[in-house]
Amino acid sequence: MVKITVNGREIDADPTKPLIRACHDNGADVPIYCYHPGLTPVGSCRICQVEVKQGEAPGRVVVACRTNPVEGMVVDTESQKAHATRRECLEFLLKDHPLDCPICDKAGECDLQDFTFDEGQSAGRSNEPRRQLEKRKSLGEVIVLDEERCILCSRCVRFFEEVPKKAQLTVADLGWRSVIATFADRPLTGNYQGNIADLCPVGALTLKKFRFQARVWNLIKMSSTCVECSRGCSIQVEVLRGSDVKRFRPRTNPKVNGWWMCDVGRFAFDHANAGGRLEGARLREGTDLLQVPVEDALCALRDALMPAKSAAFVLSPFCTVEEGRAMLGLARRHNAEIAFVAPPPNGLKDDLLHTGDPCPNRRGLTELGIAGLTAAELAPRLVQAKVVVVAGERVAELLGAAVLQAIPPAANLFAFECHPFEARSLVALIGIPNHVERTGTIVNVDGVRGPLAAAKPAPRSVRALTRLLEDLERLSPRREAATR
Amino acid sequence: MKAFETYLLDRAKTEGNHQLATYRKLGGYKSLEKVLETGITPQQVVEETKKSGLRGRGGAGFSTGMKWSFMPDATKDPRPRYLAINADESEPGTCKDRVLMEKDPHGLIEGSLLSAYAIRAKAVYIYVRGEYRLSYDRVASAVREARAAGLVGKNIAGSDFSCEIFMHKGAGAYICGEETGLMESLEGKRGHPRQKPPFPAQSGLWQSPTTVNNVETVFNAPFIMERGAAWFAGIGTPNSKGNFLVGISGHVNKPGVYELPFGVTAHEILEEKAGGMWKGRKLKAWFPGGSSCALLRGSDVDVVLDHDSLKARGSSLGTAAMVMMDDHTSIARVMEVIARFYEHESCGQCSQCREGTQWLSQIFRRIAHGRGQPDDIATLESLALGMAPGKTICALSDAAAIPTLSAVKLFKDELIECIRQQRDPLASPAPKYASVGAH
Repeated sequence: MVKITVNGREIDADPTKPLIRACHDNGADVPIYCYHPGLTPVGSCRICQVEVKQGEAPGRVVVACRTNPVEGMVVDTESQKAHATRRECLEFLLKDHPLDCPICDKAGECDLQDFTFDEGQSAGRSNEPRRQLEKRKSLGEVIVLDEERCILCSRCVRFFEEVPKKAQLTVADLGWRSVIATFADRPLTGNYQGNIADLCPVGALTLKKFRFQARVWNLIKMSSTCVECSRGCSIQVEVLRGSDVKRFRPRTNPKVNGWWMCDVGRFAFDHANAGGRLEGARLREGTDLLQVPVEDALCALRDALMPAKSAAFVLSPFCTVEEGRAMLGLARRHNAEIAFVAPPPNGLKDDLLHTGDPCPNRRGLTELGIAGLTAAELAPRLVQAKVVVVAGERVAELLGAAVLQAIPPAANLFAFECHPFEARSLVALIGIPNHVERTGTIVNVDGVRGPLAAAKPAPRSVRALTRLLEDLERLSPRREAATR
Repeated sequence: MKAFETYLLDRAKTEGNHQLATYRKLGGYKSLEKVLETGITPQQVVEETKKSGLRGRGGAGFSTGMKWSFMPDATKDPRPRYLAINADESEPGTCKDRVLMEKDPHGLIEGSLLSAYAIRAKAVYIYVRGEYRLSYDRVASAVREARAAGLVGKNIAGSDFSCEIFMHKGAGAYICGEETGLMESLEGKRGHPRQKPPFPAQSGLWQSPTTVNNVETVFNAPFIMERGAAWFAGIGTPNSKGNFLVGISGHVNKPGVYELPFGVTAHEILEEKAGGMWKGRKLKAWFPGGSSCALLRGSDVDVVLDHDSLKARGSSLGTAAMVMMDDHTSIARVMEVIARFYEHESCGQCSQCREGTQWLSQIFRRIAHGRGQPDDIATLESLALGMAPGKTICALSDAAAIPTLSAVKLFKDELIECIRQQRDPLASPAPKYASVGAH
């Protein structure tokens, strides 16, 4: 560590890390385009100019991303000289920029827009015709490129070279004619393409799935955790006006995912937005399942569990630690078997983030003492049980219709699910919120705990599973009296 | 002009000197053999070169001995060390290395090997400009001849010194003549210059210590080792030593490459070597060292052609490529062509250079074609100041800004007149390429 001064404040800085880190970590707002903490600095955009003084020498303006802190360095990020140099650089960057912010998806979270606004440069001096390039160039199934907006920071190029370690993009041609291109115009491949849309400091690379979907300032953003595999990447759930999830984006977390997430997780919000949700509860009346108050369904469950019959509890791997603990308590009180359904690895494993294990909370549930079994392993146990309780998001889907159908009609099947389903032994269906509608904790493969956030409201009369279990307890005073 | 001793181009005048036998007959490889046989250490070669005052002939004019001494201590640094010879001569106006490579390729090889010996390099890469086909062929065949004669490869001339020479042909990018761009290109990547530090001596080709020298620079090394640093330091002016090659072109009667000692004036070169301005016209403006240095007025032709004197006049020696322009020349047209060159050759990494070179070119094109606007001069000036000095990774941005600033300063009235009249009064014949964005 070396001692340097940033804007009059003496701080300790790591001499092996670029100066820009010390500036950003200490509240100095230096703009960046080509620099990204997760990528090798190249120092090509030249925007992060700061004034540096060493010893008695007069201050000089340097790029903070390619300068390392040296003992005694005095850094002024707000000096007139630094501002002037950054403004000059900005003018060059804006010379051919199309300024189509009103129709640009990046507007509102665009570094170029923000910094232009900060520096107050509202008029351009260029009278030359602006460069006209491809506005909608498809780079595969995920990304669309707007060549006019691109400021050639090369973050996307470096991302593929350094993170998935398979170069797919390059800067083609020379000088101002440079454009971002894939090799031989082949579409991008792989599970990490979406990251370049996050990396892009302007609106050049956008997600096809997010194009014209929302203005970013209308999105409500909540910190959550991805549930697509046991990595549990830290994400941000972005919901448009309390209705649909429009985006999952990675949230920086050096312990789990760094700055990245995979496309499988990124685009998994279709499931969270799916319609046809189970509202309230449904109870079997003859051949039909009728909509009833939740308490009625809970009473039916209470009554079914009351006699000491053999019961089996099956949880979804999406259950949080809190839900697992509550279900475990209930199962123990009724001497019931409990396990969670754990689908086999899905073949998406790679050496970057995706673990290939579709159970996001495998570790959390296992640590509680709940074992993960495949649907095939669970099937014989369910056939023998008198009462079967399946609980959690997608649990019916993961068990499979065949396994559920195999439960004899004599047994009573109760389900806490997000979506309704049909099975001959089904007695009651009780709606629960999905992973963007409830809070809780999941523990990833490495034991890092990640939160779930209620980013949007659950459907009408749907309560969290933990809350439903508390309600169930409240409805069972007799059981407590009996055991006493 | 006083009489002076020549040495650089002496052998080149003999027919067939590109072949080993003739080169040997003219005293070739004597210097290398002397160094290898008499046990002169690499350190002594570096010291001798330092003492001689030799400065790089590639444009920057940095002390060659000093540059060599920046290489890390070979006893402490086990990495392989390389010498790269910059023969990617593509500065507009510069054509001196071509003469050396075509007429005296063995001289380049001998110089390269001596320099490689000085820095203990295990290999030399000669990066030849792609368009220089004859140069490439001559040097490549000279390397083959020299290798067959035991002068390249293992145990050169029976000594302990081993050094391989590899030839590399450029693909036409000016930016690959920038030393770090050249190294990137040699590594098989795009010729995008690298941010310095680290300097090539610390981390160059394949992250190993590397020195990049110009052809003419290393060409001087055998003469210094043969005749001594004192002899070399006796030629020239206080800070510019030895003979150098001047490539004089433009509106002169006898354009060409001439060998001259430092200390002669540009006027002497123009009149006594290049036969004066053509058609009896007057000199209006000139570049003393290729298109990347500041323009000078015709009246500045009395300047002594060396590093210090040109600096005092606000320009630089560059590659000593004098481009002379007569009084019928339109500065707007000149700058249009120069700016277009840099626009075309900017690698596109740095924002200032990528957009700035294009912008300068667009403005000069408009002025030269009668579409100038009143604020163009001020814009040109502030753009050039935004591009230089030292605001970008390499000096190409500076190279575009420097001539612009000098043109705006020295020939402001003429440019303003072009804008006022909405035509170029000196335009003749009409420029053929008028469309914007065409290349």
